[in-house]
Amino acid sequence: MIEFINVKKEYNHDVLALNNINLKIEKGDFTFLVGPSGSGKSTFLKLMIKEEEPTSGKILIDGKDIGKFKNKDIPFLRRKIGFVFQDFRLLYDRDVFENISFALRVIECSEREIQAQVKNVLQMVGLTGKEKYYPNQLSGGEQQRVALARALATKPPIIIADEPTGNLDPTTAKGIFKTLLDINSRGTTVLVVTHAMDIVNDLNKRVIYLDHGQVVKDEQKGGPKFDNENVFI
Amino acid sequence: MTTKMYLFKEGYDNLRKHGSKTFSTMLIICATLLVLGIFLVLFQNVNANVETVRVEQGLQAFIDDTATDDEIEYMQDEIKQIEGVKEVKYIDKDMAFEDAKQAFKDQEYFLEGLDKVNIFPASFVVKFNNINQSQTVKTAVEKIDGIYKVNYNEDRIQAVISISKIANIFLLGIGAVLLIVSIFIISNTIKLAVYSNKREIFIMRYIGATNRFIRTPFIVEGTIMGLVSAIISFILISIAYVLIYARVPQVGSSLGVFGFLPYTTLWYQILIVYVVLGLFIGIFGSAISIKKYLKV
Ligand SMILES: Nc1ncnc2c1ncn2[C@@H]1O[C@H](COP(=O)(O)OP(=O)(O)OP(=O)(O)O)[C@@H](O)[C@H]1O
Ligand SMILES: [Mg+2]
Repeated sequence: MIEFINVKKEYNHDVLALNNINLKIEKGDFTFLVGPSGSGKSTFLKLMIKEEEPTSGKILIDGKDIGKFKNKDIPFLRRKIGFVFQDFRLLYDRDVFENISFALRVIECSEREIQAQVKNVLQMVGLTGKEKYYPNQLSGGEQQRVALARALATKPPIIIADEPTGNLDPTTAKGIFKTLLDINSRGTTVLVVTHAMDIVNDLNKRVIYLDHGQVVKDEQKGGPKFDNENVFI
Repeated sequence: MTTKMYLFKEGYDNLRKHGSKTFSTMLIICATLLVLGIFLVLFQNVNANVETVRVEQGLQAFIDDTATDDEIEYMQDEIKQIEGVKEVKYIDKDMAFEDAKQAFKDQEYFLEGLDKVNIFPASFVVKFNNINQSQTVKTAVEKIDGIYKVNYNEDRIQAVISISKIANIFLLGIGAVLLIVSIFIISNTIKLAVYSNKREIFIMRYIGATNRFIRTPFIVEGTIMGLVSAIISFILISIAYVLIYARVPQVGSSLGVFGFLPYTTLWYQILIVYVVLGLFIGIFGSAISIKKYLKV
């Protein structure tokens, strides 16, 4: 589903954000991407949606070399990948319903589909009844869940989340992960960047460790044995 | 609500959200369209008058006093056969004297006693099919026996032609300048709308919106502004023209006087020019201002 082949990313010809990345994430996988601040995690995700271009190497999404995609192909790549941003990226002058329906309008769904699907994803993230709220009338955790609901709404085959529980209390964070596991169990490929090591350790999923732009460890079943790895804050 | 309706509504909402900016933009577009319209109307009127002069203007060929009636008839036939001649009118000595009396109405003493010995020659007034043939017709008429002089008001015709040329260039120049100004103004307004929706555009890009989807509301916004300005300008200029027309001479009403065309021959030209320009300004102006936000 996602494949990085010899990927290198330099910013401004001097900052080496990613170096010699070779890895493959299969369809239906649930994968954590962890590592210290500045290790290149966000860069990794940005390359997947062509927000950034690799300096060298190849990235395949769904078997296709996205390096060959033209500007006009990018929207269709991004429709395959539901992106949950750490800073939510909600529209503050639109209510919850509009924030989510917005994603569905972009892909030109019918009004009926929009109504049904917004209801559906709000239920999935536990926000039923908050349709008319504006983002600043919601708590941080609720806003995060709106962001997640928006990413889920279009039913993309891949969900990637950049620190989706960054500022959340453990209970809310667990709720977010529960939803991600839930959609993963229905076949969606999920890739999560997180610092929440306790949750990573609990879940026994694949964990990719990045440090200084390189993969330093890739565990098929990350578990409590890494509890004391101090590199991973 | 279909996607098309949604995008249209978004564009309309943008207009309302920036109400006062929208209003002032349309005001300026109306002003430029009106100035343009005034030039267009003037230009069309000048052209119509030039046309009239072209048709009315002819040459005058003076006939030797010694020519007999038969000879004059023969000359008239000869002139008629020259290519480019539309009509030939014979003016005998008496008519020439009457014309002179008309011309010197207020100073009739000039002509005192002249009716005894009419010094005014008989002549032919020759009209052309086409003003471009005037020179060849003139040369041919001069060659005819019994014609001693040909008067042809070349200067006047040349003046009229160059006036219409200058008017043409002037209109094109003014039109181009105003067009650029309008596009600049509308694109500035759209830029503001784009800027205030920057975050939205940015997020739309990340959730897979095509450029067309992002662009459409802004194009709608620009198009509405252009079109509404065009219609308002059209109404204003129509009212103004009709009011002015009631108080001025009409084209061709008297030779040599600048006359105006009736509005019935003008309105659709103005409407077409306004709608086309309004749409062009709106669409082009908004398209250029959104371009740079569609790159991420
Ligand atoms: N646009 C940019 N221009 C220049 N350097 C950048 C840019 N974005 C990231 N970098 C650099 O690339 C490196 C990796 O950044 P990245 O954002 O991928 O780290 P990260 O692992 O996501 O960190 P964090 O956990 O703090 O979010 C850092 O050294 C960062 O300074
Ligand atoms: Mg990051």
